[in-house]
Amino acid sequence: MSSVNESAAASGAARESVLDLHEIQATVLRPRPAPYFGTHVLLRINDAQSGRELFRRLTPHVDSAAGWWSAKTPWLSVGISYTGLKALGLPENSLQSFPEAFREGMAARARQLGDTGLNDPKNWDAAYGKGEVHIGVQAFSDSEEDRRRILGIAREQLDGLSVSILAMQDFGAQPGDLNPLGYKDGIDQPPIEGSGFDPLPGQGRPIKAGEFILGYPGEAGVPVPMPQPDILGRNGTYVGFRKYQSRVGAFNRFLRAHGNTEAERELLAAKLVGRWRSGAPLVLAPEVDNPALGADLQRNNDFNYANDSRGRQAPFGCHIRRMNPRDSKLTRLTDVNLHRLIRRGTTYGPPYDPNALSEADDEVPRGAIFLFISAKAMATIEFLQQEWINDGNFIGIGDERDPIIGLQQEEASFTIPNEPVRRRVHGIETFNVLRGGEYFFMPSLSALKWLADLNS
Amino acid sequence: MSSQTQTASDKRKTGEEKIRELRELFADANEIGKQALENVIAELTSQVSEPPPAIESAGRVGARLGKRSELTIIVPLVPGGAKRLKTFLRSLGGNLSPGASKVGTLHDMRFVFFDNDTRLLFATSFDGDWDTYIDDFIALIPDYLDLMDSAWEGWPGIRSPEAKDYLIKHQITADGWFVAEPDLSLAEIQRQNRVSKAVDEFLDKIQ
Repeated sequence: MSSVNESAAASGAARESVLDLHEIQATVLRPRPAPYFGTHVLLRINDAQSGRELFRRLTPHVDSAAGWWSAKTPWLSVGISYTGLKALGLPENSLQSFPEAFREGMAARARQLGDTGLNDPKNWDAAYGKGEVHIGVQAFSDSEEDRRRILGIAREQLDGLSVSILAMQDFGAQPGDLNPLGYKDGIDQPPIEGSGFDPLPGQGRPIKAGEFILGYPGEAGVPVPMPQPDILGRNGTYVGFRKYQSRVGAFNRFLRAHGNTEAERELLAAKLVGRWRSGAPLVLAPEVDNPALGADLQRNNDFNYANDSRGRQAPFGCHIRRMNPRDSKLTRLTDVNLHRLIRRGTTYGPPYDPNALSEADDEVPRGAIFLFISAKAMATIEFLQQEWINDGNFIGIGDERDPIIGLQQEEASFTIPNEPVRRRVHGIETFNVLRGGEYFFMPSLSALKWLADLNS
Repeated sequence: MSSQTQTASDKRKTGEEKIRELRELFADANEIGKQALENVIAELTSQVSEPPPAIESAGRVGARLGKRSELTIIVPLVPGGAKRLKTFLRSLGGNLSPGASKVGTLHDMRFVFFDNDTRLLFATSFDGDWDTYIDDFIALIPDYLDLMDSAWEGWPGIRSPEAKDYLIKHQITADGWFVAEPDLSLAEIQRQNRVSKAVDEFLDKIQ
């Protein structure tokens, strides 16, 4: 049984949705199962007719978000890039109705995203950033057997079509569903108004659905501009797909260089994220880990920073305080609800090994592919990369960057507020290196059919 | 209305070529200008040969130096707009603090009325790109923006998707600009002020 089921049963919070759940793809609202097993498939359409035929065949197997909280598995979802829409033969006026950053693609937006140096698109895996990735298919399931079965169904749909598989990446199957650096992740998701589910304790007030799904009012009271025609845009959303390689050796070396005992290292690891590896937040468990708290969906996100205004529990620069500052005092006029993303983190490669210390360990294929989902995903990812990940100004810590997903500069540091004086840890490196990225449009089920019927 | 901050051909010119070009142009200047150029020509020659980092573009329009961006807007005003805006500004003694301080990125702002109050020059400098936080402004201070900008002819309202384009259309990029500390953001300046005060208190205590 999935964690979502458990929480629904515990809170009795499922209620009628005002969203067209039968139209919205499941992956938008449905969290990954626990445990989770899945595969990302990246495809290139070689001729428009094959592309449209693929959509015709695939659509009946794509799950909607109806009853998303019941987490039935396995399921498939599908996204299409701008070059993919072109390859399908979408008319020019429709193509032009997509946002500029989407049309340009993630690699072309490297400057705005701060994807430079180690993260520069020229260092990406071969499949990415060249406009060749047209379609991204995601298979999610709660068992290896079901993963194979659903992937088999997806692959059968390619038979006889002029569509090439550019990359396939299995993910999940991690003991305890830990991420590549050994943490429980994916805990804090934005609550979506009208999605049929009350927020979990600590999730905050529900955010207007239009921030995450096209065609509904956003926080500003109106829907964000939608691709045209309406049938194509409505109930769709955008996905920022980012593939990270985790430099586990560098991460472990950093912990050992700055912690003499296991306890010191684990505290430092918790300070970097703002949670212990178990998921227990530092604000609620400041001194020692509390695995029972970490595992409890009703409690592991139920906090704010009102009693930690000086960052002595969760440092200002820690990962979760950056990604959702909640009620932290920010230096800039900011509405934190405008900069949230639905995250589907999918870990690949061997599980975290605390004894991996070599530079060779940094290159073992292991990391996470993230799907960042929002009706304005491109603008939000650019905002986060510029302001909350690769800068510290917004929260008053100068040039420091996110210790987990930031691109670190030479001689970077991480400040841990403490009594009587703060500790500044030097020599923090880039622990997660970007190895690929694409923007996808994740259409509604009706839009998938509409795309299949283009020109017919 | 915007102009390029620096063209590629400007960058390629040698110091000697730049000085020659200046001499040619100042040949048509009056005696005051000609004499002034001759008086500084030696110093200028070394300056243009090794200029400081050029000002960069701040997104679609505007110039940027380090962390700081500049924005200059010249707009026609609607009838009665100047009077309303001036009265609003005077009601605050012409000083927009503390309201403007809340934004957290604004270093300065000025409102200059001219052409018999039919036009306005609005100039400001701030940290980062101006549109990064535009959605936050729309969410948190839309009425203050509309209160001021409703005096501007054709202002579509801050909530309109056309608002960004309106601002860009009326913005003119500076060709020259000076920032004493381009790498100090407002938050950093404020932090340094606090640190400096704390250090003084600490030193007082241990004496």
